[in-house]
Amino acid sequence: MLILFVAITGKSQEKNHFSLFTDRDLYASGETMLIKVYVPADEPSGIVNIDLLNTKGRIISGISKKITGHQADGYIYIPDSLSSGSYLLCTSTKINSSLTFKELYITNRFTGIPEVGTPVRASKIKPLKNRLIDDLQIEGLDKSVKAREKLEVSLNLPKDIVAQIEGNLFVSVSEVTPGYNSQSFQSTIHRDNFKSAEKEGVVLDGYLKDLKTGIPFKNGVVYLSIPDSIPRFDFYITGDDGYFNFQLDNYYGKIPVVVQGFDNEDKHLLKISVNRRDSLKNCLPDFESWEISPAFRTSAEESKDAVTFRKIFNQPEVAVQPAMKPGTDRYPFFGVPNIVVDPQLFINLPDFTEISRELLTGVKYRAYNRIPSLQIFNSAQRTYFNDSPLLLIDGIPVRDLSVIKDLGSKEIAKIEISMNERYYGNLKFPGVLAIHTKKADYSRVLVSDEVVKLNFDCIQPDVTLTTLSEHPLNEPDLRKVLLWNPSVKPGQTIKFNFGTSDLVGNYKLVICGADKDGSIFYKEHLFEVN
Amino acid sequence: MANNTFYIITLFALLAATSLTAQEAVPKNWDSEKIKGSQLIPYPSYTGNPYLTEKFVSGEIEFTDGTKIENLFLRYSTYRDEIIYFNSAISAQIIIDKISLKGFKLFTKEGANRIFRNQYYNGFLPGNRFFEVLNDGDIALLAYRTVVLQYCSVYNNEAGVLKNMEYQQNFNYYLYNSKKGYETIRIGKNSLLSKFDKSNQKLVKKLLRNNKIAIRDESGLIEAWKLIQINRIPTNF
Repeated sequence: MLILFVAITGKSQEKNHFSLFTDRDLYASGETMLIKVYVPADEPSGIVNIDLLNTKGRIISGISKKITGHQADGYIYIPDSLSSGSYLLCTSTKINSSLTFKELYITNRFTGIPEVGTPVRASKIKPLKNRLIDDLQIEGLDKSVKAREKLEVSLNLPKDIVAQIEGNLFVSVSEVTPGYNSQSFQSTIHRDNFKSAEKEGVVLDGYLKDLKTGIPFKNGVVYLSIPDSIPRFDFYITGDDGYFNFQLDNYYGKIPVVVQGFDNEDKHLLKISVNRRDSLKNCLPDFESWEISPAFRTSAEESKDAVTFRKIFNQPEVAVQPAMKPGTDRYPFFGVPNIVVDPQLFINLPDFTEISRELLTGVKYRAYNRIPSLQIFNSAQRTYFNDSPLLLIDGIPVRDLSVIKDLGSKEIAKIEISMNERYYGNLKFPGVLAIHTKKADYSRVLVSDEVVKLNFDCIQPDVTLTTLSEHPLNEPDLRKVLLWNPSVKPGQTIKFNFGTSDLVGNYKLVICGADKDGSIFYKEHLFEVN
Repeated sequence: MANNTFYIITLFALLAATSLTAQEAVPKNWDSEKIKGSQLIPYPSYTGNPYLTEKFVSGEIEFTDGTKIENLFLRYSTYRDEIIYFNSAISAQIIIDKISLKGFKLFTKEGANRIFRNQYYNGFLPGNRFFEVLNDGDIALLAYRTVVLQYCSVYNNEAGVLKNMEYQQNFNYYLYNSKKGYETIRIGKNSLLSKFDKSNQKLVKKLLRNNKIAIRDESGLIEAWKLIQINRIPTNF
C-alpha cells in the first residue's frame, strides 16, 4: 500500500513541475533567448518568473510573465559581459516551492570558449522527460533543405490527440548544437510562509525594520508611489513581521517606483528593504567537470561570429510589442483639488516661502529658525490644520519639508491644494499640497534608509521573432531561429511558413503541447540546411 | 497488522496535511478596502432629518471600475447628496468621493434593498447625482431624494435655542432613458397619464382600474409604473 502511495505521489509530482523550453541550448552573449513555459494546472499564481543564473546560483537576468491558459512565453537578453560557461535557466512562481531548471551553454562572443579551465555541467540530477508522440505527421519538410528556401509545412495531428490538448501548442524551428544535450530537472526551494501570490501583476514586497535594532517594525506605514500623469498611490500597514507587499496589477515593462516606510508616530528611525530575486544558490545541483567536444566547440565559434555579424548589420532577433499600460485613475488619490495654481501666470518668485505668501491662498509655508513648517487652511472648519498636510512632489509623498524650500516658480508646473481632511482607507491627511515640477523627474525625492527609488521590472511585454521578409537580400541572413510561435491554436492540420537562413547546419522542428491531464507531449523533426 | 495499518494511516494523514498547508490561501492585504473620501463636517442642527435614514445602515458600494465593497455602514445625506461611510478602524465619518462611485445599495431594517445610481443630470443645476432606482428597465423610474433647508416659524430646539429653519423633504421623480434623458413625473394619476398618447391613456386608466391602483403616494406610482412596463404600453417620452 505504501509503495502504491509513493508511486501515486511520484506520478502526481511529475505532472506538477514546470516544463521549460528554449529556442536553443547554445547561445552567444548578446543574443536573445526565447522561452516557453508550461505551468502545472494547479498553480495558484498568475505570474511565472524565469531567471538566468550562473552555476553559483547568482541570478544574472530575470523576467516575469503572465500565465495564460497554464502557459507563458518570454525572452531573456543575454548580456555581453557574461563569460563562457554553463548556465541554468530557472522557472518558478512566488509561492510554489518547486523549481524547474534547464541547462544552457553560453559563449562570450568576444573571447569564445576558453582553452584553459574545466567546464562543468550539472550532475546527479533526475532529468525530466516529456512524452514523445509518434503519430504526428509533418508534411513539406524534407530531411535536407537549401539555405534561403521558403518552406510551407503542415502538421497533421490525430483527432484523439487534438481532443486531449489543453490550451495552445508551441512550434519552433531552430539550430541544433551537435555534442550537447541540454537537460531539465526539478528542484525545491524553501518559501517563507508563502507570503504573496501574484495574480494579475507582479508583487513588490519587502520588509520594514528598526534601523537601530534590525527588528521587524510593527504598524509601520509603507507608501508606494508610481509617477504618472495622475500618480498612483497605495499604502500598507506592517504587521508583526514588518512585511509589506503591493500587487502591481497589469503593469508591463520597467516602471519607476518609490517605496517609503516610516513610523507614523515618528519615534523610530526605520530601514526599508525591497525583496529581489538575486540568488538561488541553495537549490542548485552538484556540478561535475565536462569535456567539450570538438564539434560543440566549432558550433560555438560559428555561433558567436553569426551574432557579431547580426549586430553589425543591425538585425534585431525579436521585435518587442508595445507594453500595455493600466488605465490611470480618473482623479488623484487625494481627491479633486480645491485650488489649482499655475505659477507661470504670475511674476517669477524665487522660493516656496514667497510662492506660498503671494500665490497660495490657505497655505502657510514658513521657515522660522531654518526649520520649515507647512499648514493648510481647513475650509470646512474655517481654521488652519494643526498638523502638516500631505506634501507631494510629482505625486510622491515627501516628509522633509526643506526639500521644497528653494523651489521657485520657474521650476513648478502646477500646484494643487486640497483644503479638507482627506482619507484614503485608514490613512488621514490634514489637507494636501501637490507640487508638480516641470522636470517631473522626482529628483527632489531623496533616497535614504526610509526611501527606496527603483525601476521595477513588471510583466515583460510580448515579443515576436523577426522574419525573413524583414531582411534585405543584399545582407546576410544569419538567423538561428527560423520559427518561434509559442501560441498556435490546435487543430487537425496546422500550416505555417518559414524560411531558412544563410546558416547551414542541423536544425530541428519542435512541436509541443499540454494534455488535459497536465502532461507535456512533444515531437521533434531534425533536418539539415545546406 | 493493526499496528501497521495505524502507521500507514498516520503517514497518509501527515502527507495530506503537508500538501494542504502548501496550498493554503495566501494573504491578500493589497486589496484591502481603500476608500477615498473626505471628512464629514456635521450639518447645522435644525428639526427634520438631513439624512435618508435615522442611523447608519448596512450597505454596499460599487466603484466606477466595477469593484464592490460590501458590509459597510452607510448613510445617505439627502441634504448634500453625499454617501457617508463609517470607518470603524479610525472612528471617522467619511464622505466617499462621488466621482469614484457607480452607485451604492442600502439594506434597510425592513429587508429592502435600496439601489442608488450615480448619474449625470442635465436639467436644472446639472451635475452628477445619486438617484434611487425605484423601477429599472428601458425607461427607469428614478427618485432624487433631497432635503432643503427652509425658513419656518420660530421654534425652540431641544437645547432651548431659538431656531427658524428646518429640513424639509423635496423628493423629485423622473422617468429616465439613457437615450432620451430625464422626464419629470409627479405623484398623481394626471401626471402619469400625461406621459402617454391619448389612445394609450385609456389603456393605462383601464389597467389601473382593473388592478385597483391609486397613485396617491410613492408606492402607488411604483406599482403603476411596474404594471405599465410589464404591459409594454408605449410612452410619448
